[in-house]
Amino acid sequence: MSDSFLIEYLPILIFFVIAGGAAIAAVAMSYMVGQQNPDPEKNSQYECGFEAFAESRSKFDVKFYLVAILFIIFDLEIAFLFPWAIVLGDIGMFGFWSMVLFLGILTVGFVYEWKKGALDWE
Amino acid sequence: MIDLALDGYMSALPEIFLALSGLVFLIAGVFRGNSGTTFLCYSAAFAFVFSLILLAGVNTGEAFSDLFIMDDFARYIKVIILLGAIASVVYAASFLKDEQIFRFEYPVLMIFAVVGMMVMVSANDLLTVYLGLELSSLSLYVLAAIHRESIKSSEAGLKYFVLGAISSGFILFGCSLIYGFAGATNFDDISVLLSGDNSLNIGVIFGMVFILSGLAFKISAVPFHMWTPDVYEGAPTSVTAFFAIVPKIAAIALIIRILFEVFPSMSEQWQQVVVFISVASMAIGAFGAIAQKNIKRLMAYSSIGNMGYALIGVAAATQNGVYSVLVYVTIYMVMTVGVFGIIMCMRKRGYAAESISDLSGLSKNSPVMAYGMAILMFSLSGIPPMAGFFGKFMIFEAAVNAEMYILAVIGVLLSVVAAYYYLRVIKIMFFDEAEDRFDCDIAFSRRAMIAISVILIVAFIFYPNIVFDGAMSASLALFPK
Repeated sequence: MSDSFLIEYLPILIFFVIAGGAAIAAVAMSYMVGQQNPDPEKNSQYECGFEAFAESRSKFDVKFYLVAILFIIFDLEIAFLFPWAIVLGDIGMFGFWSMVLFLGILTVGFVYEWKKGALDWE
Repeated sequence: MIDLALDGYMSALPEIFLALSGLVFLIAGVFRGNSGTTFLCYSAAFAFVFSLILLAGVNTGEAFSDLFIMDDFARYIKVIILLGAIASVVYAASFLKDEQIFRFEYPVLMIFAVVGMMVMVSANDLLTVYLGLELSSLSLYVLAAIHRESIKSSEAGLKYFVLGAISSGFILFGCSLIYGFAGATNFDDISVLLSGDNSLNIGVIFGMVFILSGLAFKISAVPFHMWTPDVYEGAPTSVTAFFAIVPKIAAIALIIRILFEVFPSMSEQWQQVVVFISVASMAIGAFGAIAQKNIKRLMAYSSIGNMGYALIGVAAATQNGVYSVLVYVTIYMVMTVGVFGIIMCMRKRGYAAESISDLSGLSKNSPVMAYGMAILMFSLSGIPPMAGFFGKFMIFEAAVNAEMYILAVIGVLLSVVAAYYYLRVIKIMFFDEAEDRFDCDIAFSRRAMIAISVILIVAFIFYPNIVFDGAMSASLALFPK
């Protein structure tokens, strides 16, 4: 094991030191040099001039989540289909049947979600 | 092209059959609804049995462009995995009926988990490792949370998922480091590349340690054990039994294959890591279990400790060490089957009783169960002539042969500590005041499984060679002459 491997990473270490130093310097300088006269108004939370009306996190129906997840699955399927379609001439029958197998397994999943009622909105 | 990619796919026939049967069961289940759960459980058991038969006829060799390897090591581990899976799914059939958890996805998920583990064991490429690991892990996450109405079960599933995802991230990061520095993902290629002069590349060592940490999570070895007690306690007992019996065997087999086939040239580096993990697991397993009141949490710490013992054999880094690990996990699997069968029998007035004190006075209420549990506890604590003694003995012998005396001594001392809480269970059953009786309508299938487990543990001393011969040929497969 030689140290030359680590030497190659020296610029990154220097970068980290400079970046960290600059960040700490900025915070420290504003803390030490800047004038600070805190009062309750300054310290209170500021959001468009109003007090917050409600929680920013709101509950929503899990159905939206389910649809989004199901969408992702079939979206990914398309993402696999495009490169497959482009190189289909090179990968021949084996490539063709591999994709058919993949689509078959996805279809099983599709039948499952349909029968389970995941696609019913009500 | 087709010949190149499908070469030797017959080697994967048991996995292909199981995967297809999983898909068929999924469709059958969704059309029949949850009322078919029990039927599907037994169908899954038959699928496992059939897969076992296929496994016996499969030829050794590499398949799918060397992504997949079938050798005696993989065959031995797969046999144990399938036997454990059969026991778990038979338990599940009666347990789900007791608890009124009817979800036909349960046996289907078990099948997919087992397929994933079998792929893991046969992996000959980092990509195959990840594929198998994720297939089994994702199924296990859902299984842990299968009892949706129970907050604890959901909590167990979520905890397991979040921590499991992190460990998968570790493994992927390790794989990418190894690929980056060694330039290959195939096990054969990596081991050839690493056997040269530049074998001690620091990047590869980093990658190996990351993969090892991720896999240590899967076998719940310290310091990656924190999820185990919570998940074991929260998950439905049949799922806990499955967790304790099967996935750890697959994960430890994968550890052995990666360390001994890919990184044999780095044994000095990984031995330190494995020794630490092993000692820490034994210690946490022994001391952590002492204060437990819940029997499922007790078994969680017990499994942490037992993985520590198994890792002693790995740390020895010899063929003898691998052999002893294989014998150890086999015996551990059989003992766990029996213990969890009895835990599932702990029901009072239709509800599961999970506290250790619920066992008090069991020797008067149902002596047969008490003696069965006593035999299993004696075996777990390693008292001769039960099978558990031979497992521990061979592990320590392997460590001594590899001149790791300190490790062996620590192991023996900590097994004395661990004996305390196993013997405490026996003391509670035989000497404490009798509590309410357990419900006595125990399913025949569960009785049969417990009986088989206890008989195997006691009779091991008469027919040890069945296990020894299999483990010996399996371990020799990893050490080419």
